[in-house]
Amino acid sequence: MSATALAAPARRALPRPRGLVWTVLRLHRTALWIWTGFVVLTAGLLLWLYGPGAGSTQEKLDTLGYSGVHEAAWSSGITSSYLSGTYNDLFYAPSSLLDIASFAVAVFAGGALIARELETGTAQLAWTQSVTPARWLAAKLAVPALIVTAGTSLLVVLYELLWSAHSNLLMAGIGPRALRFSLGPATVAAPLLGLAVGALAGLVLRRTLPALAVAGVAQFLVNAFRANSWPFQGHYQQPELSVRSRAITSTGAEIRDPGCYADRACLDRHDVVGFTREYLPSPDYWPRQLLETGVLLAATAVLVAVAFGVLKRRSAP
Amino acid sequence: MSSTSTTPPAVAVEAHGLTLRYGRRSAAALDDCSFRLPTGRVSALVGPNGAGKSTLLATAAGLLRPTSGTLTVLGTAPAEARERIAYLSQDKPLHPQLTVAETLRMGAELNPARWDAAHAAAIVEQGSLDPKARVRGLSGGQRTRVALALALGKRPELLLLDEPMADLDPLARHELLGTLMADAAEHGTTVLMSSHIVAELADACDHLLLLGGGRIRLGGGIDDLLHAHSVVTGRGTPADLAPHTVVESRVTGRGLTALIRRDGPVGAGWETSEPSLEELLLAHLRSPSAPALLTPGTTATPAGVTA
Repeated sequence: MSATALAAPARRALPRPRGLVWTVLRLHRTALWIWTGFVVLTAGLLLWLYGPGAGSTQEKLDTLGYSGVHEAAWSSGITSSYLSGTYNDLFYAPSSLLDIASFAVAVFAGGALIARELETGTAQLAWTQSVTPARWLAAKLAVPALIVTAGTSLLVVLYELLWSAHSNLLMAGIGPRALRFSLGPATVAAPLLGLAVGALAGLVLRRTLPALAVAGVAQFLVNAFRANSWPFQGHYQQPELSVRSRAITSTGAEIRDPGCYADRACLDRHDVVGFTREYLPSPDYWPRQLLETGVLLAATAVLVAVAFGVLKRRSAP
Repeated sequence: MSSTSTTPPAVAVEAHGLTLRYGRRSAAALDDCSFRLPTGRVSALVGPNGAGKSTLLATAAGLLRPTSGTLTVLGTAPAEARERIAYLSQDKPLHPQLTVAETLRMGAELNPARWDAAHAAAIVEQGSLDPKARVRGLSGGQRTRVALALALGKRPELLLLDEPMADLDPLARHELLGTLMADAAEHGTTVLMSSHIVAELADACDHLLLLGGGRIRLGGGIDDLLHAHSVVTGRGTPADLAPHTVVESRVTGRGLTALIRRDGPVGAGWETSEPSLEELLLAHLRSPSAPALLTPGTTATPAGVTA
């Protein structure tokens, strides 16, 4: 026993979480597992869309061009619903999941993270240990913020890879535009604002159910605002996203799509052996994305500052 | 008191004109309350429901901000003394999802400078609690034991207990009170404990703070307070008992029985005896208008000088 006790510290590669960090991780272990599950499943979906999921639609694009993409998108008779199960529709599923996640983070922060502890008195239990309320709140915000940022960053990077590889398999329209302009650093910032919204709701209301409800509604409004208002990425206000679409002949020359649809004879007549299609980068992307990220992070910072102010006013000096 | 540690400050808790209101318009829970509690005492905080006991304890624990007045704890502001205070609130909040062992681990993580793991574990073991049991599944009394282990594991200099024993069975109460007192005696811990159970107080405490209407009505060493009062029986009226202060009087078969605060020797014709703690408390609880009495050691120093 003494031998293992002596050997143990030397073998330990990573520093174990201590103090408040350990406490926050342990208290919210269930939430941590749920978040990990969400990230793993969404990453799995993204990788599937990146790899095996894209195969048949890619083949349609290669043989029939944009009409092939259309055919694949309509293959189940409906579009714009995840129920269709088509590649075109599943491509947008991770985006919806990320929106729901930022909403869930707000609800969690309002309910389980802050308000429940204030309501049951376990926050006061922590404050009568050797921990000041300010340090308590800092840990309560920093640990989830790090974990949420790590998770969403991973998903956004995978989504960007997916976009650059297979956005050409999407039906043209509002969908690809909205997705392109909403995906980026702002996607990572949105759940952080959710965390701040929830924490503030929890500190002000101090009761689980009202805090949870207010945080949920507030973050729903944030998400709705994101989707509809400048400088945020309004679905109907984004600039056009240009597509470069060409047919390839047997000589390797790129020509205009002859518009044959699924007519093989027509394709042979035009000597078309393949297609290439891509969404071109928009010069409007980075200004809009960075402006939105800045607004979201500034709002987050303001709410966090207010939250610390509320805590300071509520607890003893 | 404590032979091993450095000399503690002589005053554990001192209040000057302490007033606390919940909200601007509500009545004050503590109203111009002044007293001092010397270190090393085990003090009972008693008073009717709504007297402000829990408010006083939570303020001393640094959880509430006084509306006006000052409260110093161990010579400093309550929030500064956080590490040296342990507080057990009335509803004994614990995290239901943690096991008993994890709850104690949390105590160790959140009190890195002071935690005495063996001591905390011993208190839990004394109640034959399974360390792997979740707090969610514990009975009220078992939860109290875990909460007390968390409080005592911190090795506090000041222990603030709000109705600590209310949901313990008599045996567990006896055991835990014994542990508490042995601990306090050994380490010179000051204890301020609110309770309604007079028997518990008489056994465990050597000091009394009676709170009524947001102020201290009676404060001092229990023996001193008992000595200062007499139960007198005889023929006469309360007016005949001047110059003594009559706290409470009633007519009985043998004449008048009164609890008085003596001022000089009691006149002839009165049969006197020393009151029990229970008699003293009941008389004062029934007579909220009786003048306050604080012994010199329990009176706040003038002009808010901190010790």
